[in-house]
Amino acid sequence: MDVYEGLEGEKVLNLSRLNLDNLDLDDVGEERKRDTQQLFLVYNRFIMLPGSICHFSNLVFLDISCNRLAFICEDILRLSKLKTLVAKNNRLDEFSLPKDFGTMSLEVLNFSGNRFEEFPSEFLNLQRLQSLSLGGNRLKSIPAEIEQLTSGSKVLVYHGFRPECATKLYMQITVQLALQFSLMCNVILRHFSLIIQTQTDFTKLKHAALHILELLYLGGNSITSIPPELANLPYLSYLVLCDNRIQSIPPQLAQMNSLRSLSLHNNLLTYLPREILSLFQLQELSLRGNPLVVRFVKDMTYDPPSLLELAGRTVKSRNLPYKPEDLPGNLVRYLDLASKCPNPKCGGVYFDSCVRHIKFVDFCGKYRLPLMHYLCSPECSSPCSSNPQSDADSEDESSVPAHRMQKVLLG
Amino acid sequence: MEQTEVMKPETLNDLIKVLHQIFSSDTVNVEEVQNLMESYESKPEEWMEYAQFDKFRYTRNLVDEGNGKFNLMILCWGEGHGSSIHDHTDSHCFMKLLQGQLKETLFEWPDHKINGGMTKKSERVLQENQCAYIHDSIGLHRVENVSHTEPAVSLHLYSPQFDQCNTFDQRTGHRNTVKMTFWSKYGERTPFTYYCGKHIVKVALCVQ
Repeated sequence: MDVYEGLEGEKVLNLSRLNLDNLDLDDVGEERKRDTQQLFLVYNRFIMLPGSICHFSNLVFLDISCNRLAFICEDILRLSKLKTLVAKNNRLDEFSLPKDFGTMSLEVLNFSGNRFEEFPSEFLNLQRLQSLSLGGNRLKSIPAEIEQLTSGSKVLVYHGFRPECATKLYMQITVQLALQFSLMCNVILRHFSLIIQTQTDFTKLKHAALHILELLYLGGNSITSIPPELANLPYLSYLVLCDNRIQSIPPQLAQMNSLRSLSLHNNLLTYLPREILSLFQLQELSLRGNPLVVRFVKDMTYDPPSLLELAGRTVKSRNLPYKPEDLPGNLVRYLDLASKCPNPKCGGVYFDSCVRHIKFVDFCGKYRLPLMHYLCSPECSSPCSSNPQSDADSEDESSVPAHRMQKVLLG
Repeated sequence: MEQTEVMKPETLNDLIKVLHQIFSSDTVNVEEVQNLMESYESKPEEWMEYAQFDKFRYTRNLVDEGNGKFNLMILCWGEGHGSSIHDHTDSHCFMKLLQGQLKETLFEWPDHKINGGMTKKSERVLQENQCAYIHDSIGLHRVENVSHTEPAVSLHLYSPQFDQCNTFDQRTGHRNTVKMTFWSKYGERTPFTYYCGKHIVKVALCVQ
C-alpha cells in the first residue's frame, strides 16, 4: 500500500478519472503549483508523463497509475523533492526511463502491473530507495548487482569514534559499511578523514552506489532463480517472490537476519535449505502451491567415496600436518575444498561424496517442512540443532526456545 | 414476525443498525443477512477509518461487537496477502468485498484415511460488494488477495463471536489451534497483544 497520509486541502491535487491525455496547467494558479505536495493522475489516458509536471516544484508524492504510460520523460528529474512515485498498471518497460533516473531521491517506487522484462539498472542507483514494487511484470531474473541496494542508516552508530581507534574500526567493519562511510564523507569529512587514509580500496568504494531497501515485491513475474547476492541487503524485512518459477532457495538467504516476512507461494520448490532455520526474525512464511515433498525416499544408491576422497577425509579429520611444499598443487587445492559435515557431533568432512538428506521440521507456523542438507555419509545422523523434536508429529513447545516461537495469527 | 421487506442500508451505520435488529432474535436467517450485506453499496469514506493496512500481512479491524451477538470487522489485504486454510468454530461467517477482489478456495475437511493433501472443492473470485457465506458444515476455506497491484478490503460478520479457530496444512491436513487478534478496534490501533503458538501471551505495556 502506498498511501500517503496526513495531507489535506491545498497540498493535494486530485485530477483522477478526467479522461486527460495532457496536463494543461493554465487553470492552476502559481501558488497552487508551488504548494501541491501530492498529485493524483490516476485513471486517465496519458501515454507519456507530461512535461508540465515539473511545475509542481515541491511535489513529494505522485500517483499516475492506470494510464497508458509507455515513457517517462526527463522532466521528472526536476522534481527534486519527489519521494514516492506510483505508476501501477501502465505500459512501462526497462526502456521507458530517463537516463539519470537513478539520481532521484525516491524512497518508494511502485511499478507493479507494467511490462518490465528486465530489472532496470537505473533502479540500482537509487540511493534512498526503501520500498520497491515490481509485482505483476515479466521479469525473468533478479540481477546479482542488486546487492548495491544496501542501507545507510547504521553508519550513525560509528559517528562518534575517536581517531586513534580508526584503523582498528576499519578492520572490523564489512565492506558494505565501509561503503557507507564514503557517503558520509561528503557530509562530515573531518571525522572520517582518518578512515579514508587507511582504506586501500577507497577509489573503488567511492563509485559504488548506496541504498536503503526494506521492501522488495517481485511477485507475479517469471523469475526462475534467486541470486545469493539478494542476501546482502541487510535491512530487507519484506521479500515477496510468490507466483514465479523458482526451483530452489540459495542457502545464503539464511543470512538475512532482518527478514520478517517471506512470500514464496506458488513456485516450484520441492524443499528448502536447512539454513532457513536461522532466520529467527521470520514471522510470516508462505509456501502453499509448491510441490514440497511429503516423504523423502533415502537415496539407496550411495556412491562410495573414492580413494582420493577417503585420503582427504583422513588428512582433514585427523588434522594431519602438511605444508604446501609437501604436496602437488592440485592436492593442496583439493584439500582446501573440504566441507564440514553439518552434524555437530561429527567432526568429519566431505569433498564430493555426500548424502542429501531431507529432514521434516516444523518452522514458522508451518508443519513438517522438508529441509535439505548434506551429510558426509549415510551413517551420519542429521543435526537440525534448532528443533530436536523435529521427527515428532507435533511440536513439543517446551523444547522450542522462546525466541523461536512464532506468532501465528489468523482472520 | 419476519420482515417481508428488507430496507437497503444506505450507509455503513444503517447496515450496523439493521444487523443489531436482526440479531436481537435468537435465530439467524442466513439468506436475509447475506442479502442485507450485499445490498449495502460500499462507500470508502464510511469505512476508511477502519481500513488500516500492515505491509507484512492482512489485518483484522474490529468495527462493532453487535451487543455480544456478533463481531463485525474489516479485513485489509495488501497485494499478495492470504490466509491459511481455516474453520470457523461452528459460527456463521459472512464476507463482503468493500474494495478490490478476493479469491476464496473451498476445501473438504481433512480425511485421515486419505494419505496426502486436502481436497479442494471449488474456488471463485469475489467481486466488489459481493457477499459470501461459509459455515463449518459447508467446509473450510482459504481467502487470498491474488492481485499484485491492488489491495483489497472486506467486511466480515461472525456469529456467534469466536476468538480461536483451527488452521490446516494443505499438504498433510495437519491442524493447529490458533488464537485470533485485532490490529485495531473501533478505528484505534491495538498493538500490545501477542499470541505465541498455542499460548496466549498478553503483553500489557505500561506507559510510565
